[in-house]
Amino acid sequence: MEIDKMENRKDVGREGGEEELSDSFVCCVCLDLIYKPIVLSCGHISCFWCVHKSMDALRESHCPICRHPYYHFPTICQMLHFLLLKMYPVAYKRRELQTLEEEKKSGFYSPQLKADACGTQAKFLYPGSSSSCSIITADSNSCPTSSFSNGKESSAHPEQSGPASHKNDEDTIYSEHTSGATTVSVGTLSPPVEGKSFPQSEQHGQQKISVADLMCAACKQLLFNPVGLNCGHVYCEACILTSTDEMLRCQVCHSPHPRGYPKVCLELDHFLEEKFPEEYARQRDTVQLRQIKVKPESASSCLLVTGSEGENQVGWWSDPQSKVHIGVGCDFCGMFPIIGDRYRCKDCKEKIGFDLCGDCHSSRSKLPGRFNQQHTSEHQFELVETNIIRNIMMRLVTGQLEDGSTVPLENLELISEENPLFDDGEDDQHGAGATDQNL
Amino acid sequence: MSGGIARGRLTEERKAWRKNHPHGFVAKPESGPDGSVNLMVWQCIIPGKAATDWEGGYYPLTLHFSEDYPSKPPKCKFPQGFFHPNVYPSGTVCLSILNEDSGWRPAITVKQILVGIQDLLDQPNPADPAQTEGYQLFIQDPTEYRRRVRLQAKQYPPVL
Repeated sequence: MEIDKMENRKDVGREGGEEELSDSFVCCVCLDLIYKPIVLSCGHISCFWCVHKSMDALRESHCPICRHPYYHFPTICQMLHFLLLKMYPVAYKRRELQTLEEEKKSGFYSPQLKADACGTQAKFLYPGSSSSCSIITADSNSCPTSSFSNGKESSAHPEQSGPASHKNDEDTIYSEHTSGATTVSVGTLSPPVEGKSFPQSEQHGQQKISVADLMCAACKQLLFNPVGLNCGHVYCEACILTSTDEMLRCQVCHSPHPRGYPKVCLELDHFLEEKFPEEYARQRDTVQLRQIKVKPESASSCLLVTGSEGENQVGWWSDPQSKVHIGVGCDFCGMFPIIGDRYRCKDCKEKIGFDLCGDCHSSRSKLPGRFNQQHTSEHQFELVETNIIRNIMMRLVTGQLEDGSTVPLENLELISEENPLFDDGEDDQHGAGATDQNL
Repeated sequence: MSGGIARGRLTEERKAWRKNHPHGFVAKPESGPDGSVNLMVWQCIIPGKAATDWEGGYYPLTLHFSEDYPSKPPKCKFPQGFFHPNVYPSGTVCLSILNEDSGWRPAITVKQILVGIQDLLDQPNPADPAQTEGYQLFIQDPTEYRRRVRLQAKQYPPVL
């Protein structure tokens, strides 16, 4: 009966002027409009909670669409978030309310990106990471000033020799813009604007999207063959491939992108081509030109390096000695579950907790947490041990130990029925929240 | 929390199915005597493929969704004792796409499951037997196997 109500309510919502959704932005897990989009390294997009819930608490996770394995829970892609908000204000609002309701029930909250953008921004500024601040302004800035970006487009030459300095210029422009019209206009001004334009958006299904809504974080032009990094920033594939670092790093926030190169997000690429045919074609031409020049720079050897590194990690995961923190993820790099040392914040009060893997703890990264925690750099950490016996048992049950023996199919039914076994555990031990998906 | 997603997804699945579904198939959530709907259990009918020994049969299948759906696949059950090499004596279907550790992906829809099972009917997988009778006949006595399949098709005539 409860379900009937839910269904009705949703239908009413749709009839009540909700936009027609493009198939590109329907989440394959909940089959609804993607909310707080996350781009996986295989290029597939899904909702924040849909990705988190379909991750495996015990070992590597698989993409819900292609089963591509991954270990890190990526950060929300802000660019796509604001794009969807702009395109489908009504539907996106409904999704926001719906998600918030579920979050209230569970006590686990996803990061707030929109309403209190200024709040988060202030928080970002506080630990002194100006870089992450510029992302937000760059993204949300895009709405009011499309002419701004057009000017840039014509002046920016593809063969610019110093991308770094160029980027800095842009950053300053953005931050000036922010400090002037600022925080207020960025965070709060845009939603009312969208509110006013409901009637139009109903007719055309969406508001006007400009190139500025879909810019590469490096070349600041329309994305071409977009790839999303673990940190949530989006680049042209070509802009990422030219980086000579051994470990792929985001140029905006400097977070490393784990495990090799991400794949092109095809859904977004098709959307770009359809939406901006001219700009897209122009970008394609410039990129092709550039690639001819750059190619000898052995992109392939790069790939090899990262490839073998990946294999090592696989070994790690099946090593029965390794310390697996079941159902607990790192709030900086997103590794889930954490393998190796786990540091838990003693001061974060949120139900989900705040945890770091060994690497992130030692690098003292300043990014905010992934579940809207109010973590600050003054908070203290403690090292948490894994429950070794429990670990081994879990792995035996799921046939994950090194001999590679998987459980015979006949027994699978049995196991799934015994599932309640997995329900206790981490949760009551550490009050850790991340285990809401008890395998 | 995880319950929220399963029901939401199933609501959308239901909508998508109503909008469009393959001919001859039925899939709907179970409804109680008081008219209440249980989204977590779906009663389905899979028609045997034309031009196969399964033709003419309309096989009832029940999908049991857990609160972890779509992270985990639904359990798909034919009636107990269903004759097919890849169906357990309990009626549970053994199919790679329904196995969480091999082929299942949350992106697989109810429609794809049902069409996948329809394919399986006529194309059993001898590498993965789930019942002795069906498997042994399929391997050792193809004539008898086909007779049994056609007999079973008659046991499941079209409803209505």
